[in-house]
Amino acid sequence: MIQIKALTKSYPSVQGRQYIFKDLNFTFPTESNVAILGKNGAGKSTLFRMLAKSEYPDRGQIITKKSMSWPVALQTGIHPQMTGRENTRFIGRINNVRSLSEYEKNVQTFAELKNKFDLPVKTYSSGMRAKLVFACCMNINFDIYLIDEATSVGDPHFRKKAKKTLKDKAKQAGVIMVSHELDQIREFCTSAVIIRDGKLKYYKDLEEAIAIYTGEN
Amino acid sequence: MNSLSAQLKGWRTVIFALFLRELQSKFNDKLGLSWAFIEPALFILVLSFIRGKVTGGDVHSIPIFIFMLIGMIGIQSFLSSLNSISTAIKKNKPLYAFRQVHPISAIITSAFLEFSIKTVVIFLLSIAVYLMRMPYSFDNPVMLVGVYLLLWIFATSIALLFSIAAAYIPEIDKIKNFISRPMFFISCVFFSLQDIPKEYWHYFNWNPVVHYIELARYACFTSYGNEGVSLAYAAMCSLVSLFFALSIYHLTWKNILSR
Repeated sequence: MIQIKALTKSYPSVQGRQYIFKDLNFTFPTESNVAILGKNGAGKSTLFRMLAKSEYPDRGQIITKKSMSWPVALQTGIHPQMTGRENTRFIGRINNVRSLSEYEKNVQTFAELKNKFDLPVKTYSSGMRAKLVFACCMNINFDIYLIDEATSVGDPHFRKKAKKTLKDKAKQAGVIMVSHELDQIREFCTSAVIIRDGKLKYYKDLEEAIAIYTGEN
Repeated sequence: MNSLSAQLKGWRTVIFALFLRELQSKFNDKLGLSWAFIEPALFILVLSFIRGKVTGGDVHSIPIFIFMLIGMIGIQSFLSSLNSISTAIKKNKPLYAFRQVHPISAIITSAFLEFSIKTVVIFLLSIAVYLMRMPYSFDNPVMLVGVYLLLWIFATSIALLFSIAAAYIPEIDKIKNFISRPMFFISCVFFSLQDIPKEYWHYFNWNPVVHYIELARYACFTSYGNEGVSLAYAAMCSLVSLFFALSIYHLTWKNILSR
């Protein structure tokens, strides 16, 4: 469970402050895999980044006892000049994994990069990068995984594997996902939160949420 | 909240990881890390050598080569660290997605890297001086080390301020170049404060870099004298700028993340 208390978030712009959330109070459920739905610019990514503490609200708090992953998007934290292995070790180090060499090995097998693992990331295709980032995240134990369309690029075989891993993880961990692809959300999530006009609403049933979301578009 | 020691340990791991990352990405060409030491060492050595050959003799009891060497090391420590540390916050932007990595970790890492490189450069230059059988002396080594550290505190604080400013106003880099270029000529690198008539001193000795450089020369050769410069002023400049930079950082770091 993640508690959001009196949260206000705005961005400055030439037209004055743009408020995304104003005095928002909400209890974010994490028992099941949750999708965040909303139109472009509704504040999905902002909420997502604030949950991950990559960004902070102007006022208010986000309180949780769970450990959260970083927002797993396509490129986060990957340096194109460094090799896959060096990038993996960097991510392992800052997340304090117990054994770096073991972590490295697991990521290499999971991402199916074989000997490409020792080449600079700039030589990778976008699918391979996505695999690497996803593998780095999945091999660290978090209570909640924050996933931002990262899995949509992999080939069908990898997507199947990703789905299976996420399903396994879902037994002890939760997943929060942002995506525009409804198929993908149906694959991974069972419930949803809809963002509209700076307000959040939780739907226990994913299909109900999707119906409302697509109806309103 | 976590205990202090656990937090310190967390900071240490992050900075260590960033440090390795910086090393790996900065020096993965053929010349590698060695270039980082050779380039500034050669630059300083050649410039000092030419100046020594042109005029020769002593400047206020210091051999001109050593005089130039100290001046060049001082101004290079200030200018090149200012340039690279002040881009650190922007350069590491993608990494702030990890909540463990704060903008200040990038600054500390970059400052530490620059400091280590420059210290090795000084070591290399000292060996060169020794091998060339130049006359040298360290009359007051404690003061020399102290002045060197004060210079670094000052340079890092100013760089932190520029780095924060660059997050709000990207054009600040142009202003930084505009300001830093004349620093090379007004910081008593090529001449001594003693060469200037006393009534014009106030045009020069507001600049803390003048104090660091002249004090370093005085620390090496007591006979050089320390008229017109003061350790207290140098220390105050370092501490005030450090305090000011950290306060501004404390006020703005969460905003920097959203930019």
